[in-house]
Amino acid sequence: MLLCDFHIHTKYSDGSVELRRTVDLFGQSGFDVIAITDHVVNGDNSFGKLAHRFRFSVRENNFAEYMDNIREESERAWEKYGMLIIPGVEITKNRLTSDNSAHILILDIQEFIPASWSYEKIFLEAKAQNALVVACHPHHTPEITNRDTLFLWNNREKYAKYIDAWEIANRDDVFNVISLKKYPYIANSDFHKARHIYSWKTLLNCEKNITSIKQCIRHNKGVAITLFRN
Amino acid sequence: MKIFIMFAGLAVLGLIAYGFQIWAVRSKLKTGDRESRASRKKRDGYPPVSVLKPLKGLDDNLFDNLESICMQDYPKYEIIFSLQDFNDPAYKIAKKIKDKYPAKDITIMVESCASGLNPKVNNLIPAYRIAKFEHILISDSNVMANRNYLQEIAKHMEDPEVGLVSNIIKGTGGYSFGAIFENLHMNSFIMGSVCFLDKFLKMPCVVGKSMFMRKKDLEAIGGFRAVKDVLAEDYLIGKMMHSMGKKVVLSHHMIKNVNEYWGMRKFVNRHSRWGKLRWKIGGIKYFSELFSNAVFMSFLPVLLWEPSRITLAFAACVSSIKVLGDIYISRKIRTQMSWLLYLLSPLKDLIIGFIWFVPIFSTTVVWRGNRYRIGKDSMLSPCPETGIWSWKYRVTDTIKARLA
Repeated sequence: MLLCDFHIHTKYSDGSVELRRTVDLFGQSGFDVIAITDHVVNGDNSFGKLAHRFRFSVRENNFAEYMDNIREESERAWEKYGMLIIPGVEITKNRLTSDNSAHILILDIQEFIPASWSYEKIFLEAKAQNALVVACHPHHTPEITNRDTLFLWNNREKYAKYIDAWEIANRDDVFNVISLKKYPYIANSDFHKARHIYSWKTLLNCEKNITSIKQCIRHNKGVAITLFRN
Repeated sequence: MKIFIMFAGLAVLGLIAYGFQIWAVRSKLKTGDRESRASRKKRDGYPPVSVLKPLKGLDDNLFDNLESICMQDYPKYEIIFSLQDFNDPAYKIAKKIKDKYPAKDITIMVESCASGLNPKVNNLIPAYRIAKFEHILISDSNVMANRNYLQEIAKHMEDPEVGLVSNIIKGTGGYSFGAIFENLHMNSFIMGSVCFLDKFLKMPCVVGKSMFMRKKDLEAIGGFRAVKDVLAEDYLIGKMMHSMGKKVVLSHHMIKNVNEYWGMRKFVNRHSRWGKLRWKIGGIKYFSELFSNAVFMSFLPVLLWEPSRITLAFAACVSSIKVLGDIYISRKIRTQMSWLLYLLSPLKDLIIGFIWFVPIFSTTVVWRGNRYRIGKDSMLSPCPETGIWSWKYRVTDTIKARLA
């Protein structure tokens, strides 16, 4: 089984650990597959403008550099740890209310996708790039510091067809509603700090290459979740 | 004023003792340089070695630590990674290392052993049973070694009088306060004390992160079974070797202990555990540790008397001298820590000063998830989990969980 984490932030957005150190942290801990998914924040409201102002977002003008660095780290991680790195982003649509906010992981992204686009346009563009679409922390989280992102869950009848997997667990939280609806699932850390490495993770029973991993998640066979602890 | 003069005197004595520790470290490193130059040309005649690596959980830098032992410039050696169960997260890393170095003689030994109460010794017993060679090296999972590590320690075994070789350890890395404090403490108090005891008092002070010995010597002192129920198995093995008339050598070769993401709780837990161990082994000698903590001594008048200009100026002066001493050692041992981090050293010494009192009031230790009571010579006994004891632990655990 491959030990995987598909939701990791670095200093390219609001993570506290640099990309290289993040890769080493996961490599030293024996992970097989990770995805680097820094925020791409919508710049069309005051939240987004602040995120752009303080560089808590990957932007169109530094996306190429972001991808190049991930590619470079990917080669190093493969050679040293036998660990696969998937480039990705977390499309971050923050609104005033939780009901209108949503975060979406785009895994194996090729070209920049702005967060200000409509949901349909984002999903279709992700499909065109053969990327994987994952709905992040789609339900209520108990931590008062976290803002809920409920838009996709509230509109699941409309959008579920575009979504390849839903986060059934995010860091310490488990969203049992995903299993009740029998949606495809994965579990991730939403890594921002070093201690977040000890959290829910995905186990995949497939080959260690990007095509098999995407197929495994889409078909949701051979997928398990585990609480990774020391 | 009398209080101030008394503590000021103790602080000055503490600084003098620290000066001797620095001298001991410097002298150990100098001797080492000479020995290394003399033995550099020698490339053969080294005995085959079984390296026993007890693993439990994920240490910082574990992959690199295990990889460093596979990259030794040494003619013949085997590596045995030893674990208690397959679900240990370290198993996956041991497996990756084995797959990465198929040409190396690596065995992963997974066996649940409950012979004694010391989890490290329990982990070592199955590995020792399958070790092929007469010379064994016990190397902790948090040890990162240079390529010449095995060569440097094995050369001491040419002398048949030598029974055990251990190493000096330097702390490196540090991205969190806990890890920085740990590294500062390793590179000042721990390193200084070990070198001081070796140079001036000729006392064996073995730190179990690296112990090199012959099987026949270990068997002669009763093997691992003789230390299966003690917390300080390393210290006792050294002591028993010494009592048997064998030399216990502190190699000048420095090994690295990479501490990167420790929390403060881990730092406090480790040093209160080590404090309890030294209190139970050393008895009254344990008080010398408090008196040699110059920074703590210099701050006591501020706490007990009053924060006047003279007490604060004295504490600041002592702290500055201690920081300079720490920076001097760090330059000698070539740590890569920024000198600015050494400004945290007085704060670390204050915390260590408060931790010093913990062993006086508590005899229980929690080590790798197990709770024990610690007795004379660090003898372990299981904590009673019934009656009033169970309530005591339940209350303390609840308070700790709430605080966390």
